[in-house]
Amino acid sequence: MSGFRAIFRRELTGLFLTPLAWVLLVAAICLNGFMVIYALMGSGGDVDGSFNYMLGTSGAYWMLMISLPPLLTMRSISEESKGGQLEFLLTAPVTDGAVILGKHLAVVVFLSVLWAVVPMYGLTLELLGVSPDWGQMGLGYLGAVLVSALFAALGMVASALSSTPLLAAFLGFIFNIALLVLPMGAGSLGGTVGRALTALAGKLDVLKHLQLSFMRGALDSADVIFFLAWTGLFLFAATRIIEGRRMWS
Amino acid sequence: MRLRDTRQFVGCQAAFWPSLPVQGLAPGQPSGIVLPSLAPPMINVQNVTRRFGGLTAVNDLTFQVEKGEVVGFLGLNGAGKSTTMRMMTGYLPATSGSLRIGGFDVLTDSLEVRRRIGYLAEGVPLYREHRVSEMLAFQGRLFGMKRADIRRRTGEVLDRVGLSDRSRSLVGKLSKGMRQRVGIAVALLHEPDVLILDEPTSGLDPLQRVGVRRLVSELAEDHTVMISSHILPEIEAVCGRLILLHKGAKVADGTKHELLKKLGGSHLKLVVAASSTDGLRLKQALGGVLSKEELAKEGSIFVRERGDALEATLRVEQNPSEAVGLLAAARGWILRELSWHEPSLEQLFGRLATGAIEQEEESAQQAGLEAPDAGEVQVKAATDSESTQRKDSSDTDSTQPGAGA
Repeated sequence: MSGFRAIFRRELTGLFLTPLAWVLLVAAICLNGFMVIYALMGSGGDVDGSFNYMLGTSGAYWMLMISLPPLLTMRSISEESKGGQLEFLLTAPVTDGAVILGKHLAVVVFLSVLWAVVPMYGLTLELLGVSPDWGQMGLGYLGAVLVSALFAALGMVASALSSTPLLAAFLGFIFNIALLVLPMGAGSLGGTVGRALTALAGKLDVLKHLQLSFMRGALDSADVIFFLAWTGLFLFAATRIIEGRRMWS
Repeated sequence: MRLRDTRQFVGCQAAFWPSLPVQGLAPGQPSGIVLPSLAPPMINVQNVTRRFGGLTAVNDLTFQVEKGEVVGFLGLNGAGKSTTMRMMTGYLPATSGSLRIGGFDVLTDSLEVRRRIGYLAEGVPLYREHRVSEMLAFQGRLFGMKRADIRRRTGEVLDRVGLSDRSRSLVGKLSKGMRQRVGIAVALLHEPDVLILDEPTSGLDPLQRVGVRRLVSELAEDHTVMISSHILPEIEAVCGRLILLHKGAKVADGTKHELLKKLGGSHLKLVVAASSTDGLRLKQALGGVLSKEELAKEGSIFVRERGDALEATLRVEQNPSEAVGLLAAARGWILRELSWHEPSLEQLFGRLATGAIEQEEESAQQAGLEAPDAGEVQVKAATDSESTQRKDSSDTDSTQPGAGA
């Protein structure tokens, strides 16, 4: 447990000590700021609708969701395995699972900080005299964190699979897109494969679970569990891949 | 279980146990059963093999290291040094065989083993974006050390590696030599029983190397150290015992002196003017210097003419140059050269590289020779002493082709 905490702490400080994290943070803040203004202007001042759009439907939201986690997780395993730091961690008295979990949690915390920008704009509006629906905003934010956690876990799998950080980022990107597109595309495929994919897609529909619960402002614990369970499964897969790498590498 | 320097104690037990009556035995049971030693070897590697696909990186490797020993791993690139060390740390599982560190199995008690090991991997993988003190604090937390302990040990280890004034420096900004020392400090922080250093001096300048070498010698006082290197003078200077790996297999194991002795090839070279004596008399006179056993060995004295000089080669283990010098004075030989030659580890390496040792090993196997017992110095290669000597002498002195043939 202490090992997990140590790794989480180092990963988080390590993130904030590298330029990449700051560049991503600034870029995301700028994009979100632009999106807030765009949404408010476009909707004619519909504050709640704008924030709903910001935290679930906008293109910018999904673009950031798909692209940011892989950029952060590419360092976690792939780069460290190249630089030897992973060997350093895996020879310390810490289980492989604690290493993966610590790294993942650090990425998730970083992304939660990044998404905290959106409620900040809400706070700005509040100070200007227009109060947003904080309950819905909070749930939207929770949804963003959970989606980030899921995509970061997929990114960890990609990172564990790849020998170079660039490949890890790209693979994670592809995985995330596939995860989103799967429910839409699965039905169009016929035959056994199509049926199997449709069945899988039914269990793995990120958009549906996000929109049904978090975006409506009504929290269903089943949806929270949906995200946590898949995140856990992907982290488990990443751990097993790391263990497997020892056998061959 | 923390034991410090129990070697003598254990030695006593081993000597006395078989004769002591064992309590709690049913009558009629033999009392002289062999009991397991209380303190197993610090490092116990048994028949370990590691394959990467079709490639066998480590092949049936067996060795033990006692507490407090400093053992050097020697071998060419790709000999299996790093792979063996990685298996000892539990990073890589062995394909077959067992490894135990401090009595714990590397696979089943992995975390216990890791707690007892300080490992510096090749290339010194540290987080470059952190300060030296932060890196050490991270290591301390990884090992579950208390905050006060971390602070105390940070001061101690930085002092030890001579970087007390650098604790605020960024790891990435340090020179390679300093980073190497930070790596050693990190490996030392949690007071490990076993220190495993993989190529701790690669890429350092000679001065830095001396620094690291001195540091390792100091550490040897209270740690079991395994160190790998392909820089030979370093290993020679630091390690009491050497294990020579070649293509994943152990070729030799022993002190440097034992290794070289078994390999043979030390000789005295004497050159006298041909006008002062003749070959036969020279050979007879030199025979008086050697012991009976030495004399009985074929080719222990070899004399030949070279221009207006006679050149004699005495293949012996101990340097007889004083006796030979006295003899020369007594007989009135006109001395041109009297020199003692010992083979070096470099030559040993050279022979490894050219495949000479493998050939000798094969011929030894064909001759039906069995490998000596474990624990003794094992130099399979030296079984064919004639060819060994020939190779060594041609390494030492290129103007002496075919000597001893």
